Amino acid sequence: MKGKIFSIVLVSILIITLIAGCSSKPQNTGGEAQTQEQKTEEKVTLKVGIWSSSPAEKKIVEDQLAAFKEKHPNIDVQIETIVGDYMQKMQTLIASKTAPDIFYLDSMPAPQLMSAGVLEPLDEYITKYNIDIEDFEPALLEAFKWEGKVYGLPKDFNTLVLFYNKDMFEQAGLSEPLRTWEELRQYATKLTKDKVKGIVLNNELARYQVFVNQNGGTVFKDGKPTLDLPENIEALQFYTDLILRDKAADTPQNLGVGWNGDAFAEGKAAMAIEGGWMIPFLKDKAPDLKYGMAELPAGKQRATMAFTVAYVMNRNSQHKEEAFQLLNFLTSQEGQKYVVESGLALPSRKSMMARFKETYPERAPFVDSASYSVPFQYGLVGQKLVDEANKACEAVIMKQVNSAKEALEKAQKALQQ
Amino acid sequence: MRRKHVMEMIAGYTFMMPFIVSISVFLLGPLIFAFIISFKNFSFLNPEAATWVGFKNYVQLFRDPVFRRALLNTALYSSIVTPVQLAIALILAVILDQKIKGRTFFRLAYYIPTVTSPVAVAVIFLYLFKADGLVNTILAKFGIQGPVWFNSVRFALPSIMMMAIWSSVGTYMVVFLAGLQDIPAELYEAAEVDGASGIQRFFYITLPVLRPVVFFNLIISLIGTFQVFDQAYVVSRGEGGPLNATMTVVLFIYRQGFREFNMGYASAAAFVLFIIILILTLIQRKIFREETS
Repeated sequence: MKGKIFSIVLVSILIITLIAGCSSKPQNTGGEAQTQEQKTEEKVTLKVGIWSSSPAEKKIVEDQLAAFKEKHPNIDVQIETIVGDYMQKMQTLIASKTAPDIFYLDSMPAPQLMSAGVLEPLDEYITKYNIDIEDFEPALLEAFKWEGKVYGLPKDFNTLVLFYNKDMFEQAGLSEPLRTWEELRQYATKLTKDKVKGIVLNNELARYQVFVNQNGGTVFKDGKPTLDLPENIEALQFYTDLILRDKAADTPQNLGVGWNGDAFAEGKAAMAIEGGWMIPFLKDKAPDLKYGMAELPAGKQRATMAFTVAYVMNRNSQHKEEAFQLLNFLTSQEGQKYVVESGLALPSRKSMMARFKETYPERAPFVDSASYSVPFQYGLVGQKLVDEANKACEAVIMKQVNSAKEALEKAQKALQQ
Repeated sequence: MRRKHVMEMIAGYTFMMPFIVSISVFLLGPLIFAFIISFKNFSFLNPEAATWVGFKNYVQLFRDPVFRRALLNTALYSSIVTPVQLAIALILAVILDQKIKGRTFFRLAYYIPTVTSPVAVAVIFLYLFKADGLVNTILAKFGIQGPVWFNSVRFALPSIMMMAIWSSVGTYMVVFLAGLQDIPAELYEAAEVDGASGIQRFFYITLPVLRPVVFFNLIISLIGTFQVFDQAYVVSRGEGGPLNATMTVVLFIYRQGFREFNMGYASAAAFVLFIIILILTLIQRKIFREETS
């Protein structure tokens, strides 16, 4: 009995020492931070958090940073490449207050971060350094504004355009570019042959929303989901009818591939609605494929989606001045030169878009559709809205519901719970 | 004498220290923390702003149609995978316990899927079961138009079940095999003298003696199947689709925590899962104890 009490005491002492050992750590780091602040005048080390979808993308950042360091010899910049699920890792870094000084942020999760107050508002610095904010494509900048404040400067973006297989078009005797929904249906029907579909359409909102917006609809308005508007229903019906009624389209899954790009590259579909990431992909996977790019056909109006990523600043950064200088450089005309040269994505500044068109004339449709693009973002509803909207489309295609109307009404109801 | 006892104890606890430290830092601590935040409106993005919400997360969970679907899927998955994989594992173990040719080879062959990464297995199954994959090509030879397995509301979950059974049978087989080898040969000899047939020997000697091993496997399998995640994640690209057909409880937790930033809500779901597994384990324990005594 005595031994038992003794052991309990001993274990608790050990645990207490352990906890004490842990809790003394933050004090230490606090001390380090202080000494770091004192050093500010001398040398500063900044961290940039990025994901790396390809070596080419990382090279852009490396080149940009090399140019930046030449101008600011007192600022050292380290790249922190996050592999795996970016937001999963970033979330824990933010929670433990060890997030990089500035980092990539996709438009989709941006509202959550902006509203949570973990990002530094940039307005003050924008005025102080006299940044020409009007030069950014308004739709893109809008995605990083929250309650009137700017939290991020878009670094680049991509829009959705129509990729078409030139050989298949020729064989089907089609030369004129398509302009309307009706033409899209006709073209897709003509291009459909035994093992080839006219167009590959997936069940994602990130693709069918272009039809919704072209039809004058919207899935998100004034902070609320509006999935079941009549215009939206009509658009989804058209989209799914291409698959179910006209049999001129199909999903990547039904074509036995992973995504739209695969279907297009393997010649299983003559058309696909995708973004600029297709270009390096096709070069790699189907180097002999002859394809063209065109602006999307219009419904009642023109519309496309914009996928954009901004640099944002960590509110807990120890060197906010320097961090902004870096952020500004990366999104400045000079910094965006590297984006233009790489051709991976579009520069977010209007002044640089002309240059992009000159460098890559065949990629003009991406730039031309920027002005009528809508960013992929749904406020704080975010992922939930995407999930429900995707499921609605999936349900229609899988014939789990009778009509687009039923599917979208169900999805809207689920979101209002 | 006493002094020696104390010294021994200090030495003992010092040796245990790495374990005590690691378990309290990496297991107990997070566990308690998760339990606390399951009663909060908690997000890692802004931990300071978290407010107490009482049982709201738990109440909301049972109203959430996606969570209910996840529970249903997981229960269905578990109730099919567990018995089937244990039955197959037992049969394989009994066969491989005989003196057959190439015994070592077969033991190895059945065990290999277990040491293969579940993600790699899932990717290979995706290829086999895709619209124009190997399975459908073979089916087409018999005039059957195969479904798009992983993208079908009806076939997605069963496909994952098949995959899980194939890839984890080996683990349970090895445990059964070890149990079979512990059964004294005298028992079988005595039964043989009494004129018991092979089937009788299996049901009246092998199974009863193997009972603790069966219990162990049952618990491990049940816990494992209730925590199914990786296969569902890879097959549906983390979406749990098509139409939530492959949404499992752990996938739901992951999506809530890391995609929608509701860490408190996700923790509540994790504790519901914990309680379910705990209750099932207790029930099994009770049944097995009663039967043994």
